[in-house]
Amino acid sequence: MITLKNFFERAREGTLTAVRCGKCGELAIPPKEFCPACQQRAWVPVTLAGDGTIASYTVIRVAPARHAADAPYAIAVVTLREGVALIGRVVDIPLDALAIGLPVRFRPLVKENQTSVGFGPA
Amino acid sequence: MRRVAVIGVGVTKFGKHERTSAELFAEAARDALADAEIGPGAVQALYYGNVVGGETEKQLHMGPQAASVLGIPTIPTTRFETACASSHAAFRHAVMEIAAGVSDVVLVGGAERVLTVPTAESTEYFAYASDAIWEQPLGLTFPGVFALVARAHMAKYGTTEEQMAAVAVKNHRHGAMNPKAQFQKEITLEQVLGSAYVADPLKLYDCCPFTDGGAAVVLAAEEVARRRPRAVWVLGSAAASDSMLMQDKKDLARVPTTERAAAAAYRQAGLGPADVDVVELHDCFTIAEIVATEGLGLFEPGTGGFAAEKGWTTLGGKLPVNPSGGLKSKGHPIGATGAAQIAEITTQLRGEAGPRQVEGARVGLAHTLGGNLATVLVSLFGRE
Repeated sequence: MITLKNFFERAREGTLTAVRCGKCGELAIPPKEFCPACQQRAWVPVTLAGDGTIASYTVIRVAPARHAADAPYAIAVVTLREGVALIGRVVDIPLDALAIGLPVRFRPLVKENQTSVGFGPA
Repeated sequence: MRRVAVIGVGVTKFGKHERTSAELFAEAARDALADAEIGPGAVQALYYGNVVGGETEKQLHMGPQAASVLGIPTIPTTRFETACASSHAAFRHAVMEIAAGVSDVVLVGGAERVLTVPTAESTEYFAYASDAIWEQPLGLTFPGVFALVARAHMAKYGTTEEQMAAVAVKNHRHGAMNPKAQFQKEITLEQVLGSAYVADPLKLYDCCPFTDGGAAVVLAAEEVARRRPRAVWVLGSAAASDSMLMQDKKDLARVPTTERAAAAAYRQAGLGPADVDVVELHDCFTIAEIVATEGLGLFEPGTGGFAAEKGWTTLGGKLPVNPSGGLKSKGHPIGATGAAQIAEITTQLRGEAGPRQVEGARVGLAHTLGGNLATVLVSLFGRE
């Protein structure tokens, strides 16, 4: 079973991990106890390719206190090739080039030993 | 199950206050009890909403604290936290307590105090209602959450920034007639469109303000309410939840929690969207009002922006939405907002709303949303 700790340890190494329900095939990030589609508990970890397209995005200009130094920064919900979606920071793409449908690729963002999800150019 | 009615309402002035949230609630509760013509000794329970008091006031266990400040410390009381829907969740549970026959008179409400801290700090505390592992480390804010919805809605339906701005202009026009509102002044479309981006495509004037304030509602069983001609009946009250995470939303241009809560509330009341005369809904951002009008079935999916632009939701229009000024103009003290919306619907259905009265309103709807579209409460009200 994949825990949150496992997910982010693997993400830090550049690998995105989802879980697939062994009963109904539902794909999920993050891991959860029961399958929300069929209520079974038969998860199998699967490695995702890491590429996808922007489903929606925003540019945060008024930031929370602990992110104020980063502003402005972009956040997007990305639909991955396998069909599951993931939210992350968008980096190394000009803010005015962002668009729904834009192809992007997963990359880990590590700051003060905390790993979070990022996306860069495809 | 027994029928339940609202027999008294009270709301503080919304804005900046130099009093604790418990004091603000106590003022609203005092007014609600006076409005109900009932003494504090008749109250059998308090259901209380507050969200960020642990951060802004270093205060937990706020139910007993609020009851103590009000002067009725020995009644059973519980604090509810469902982000911005907290006091509407408290309301639904209080309705169930009376309907089940446990109590005859229950006080419901909430309060929030946030203007004690700078904007960057309150923005961070509000973001605690998004996911601490997946979303907060990215720097996702609440304007950011609704910006994701706005961008998706614009792409799917062609909704424009001008249509969103029309919501802000309309709600400020309404709020200018509400003496309790934080901003009692009209604004122009040009002012909205010319304001600075907070989270693209949302600009400053698409966003509700940070607000201090309190609101209270006195609920009573049919046996108590029957003797009161100003009683407003609870016809239905429903809640819906969904995954917290924005990445789990199947369609970012829709709010299924609103659709499910509305369907359940309409079913309880035996009513449909066409029966509703007046609506107070959760316009924390202009796009939030647009998607709420669609989710509640008031307008077809994708046409909420068009309806706002055409003036259908203004006082005197087809279906007045947020005659109080909404969260946008009246203000959004998050723990108090649901109770304040219910207070406005009650006032409207009694015909006591003065210059902002929706003429002949007989059925009213209150809609409150919490967090990343993850909690929605919808309640329906009617006159006898």
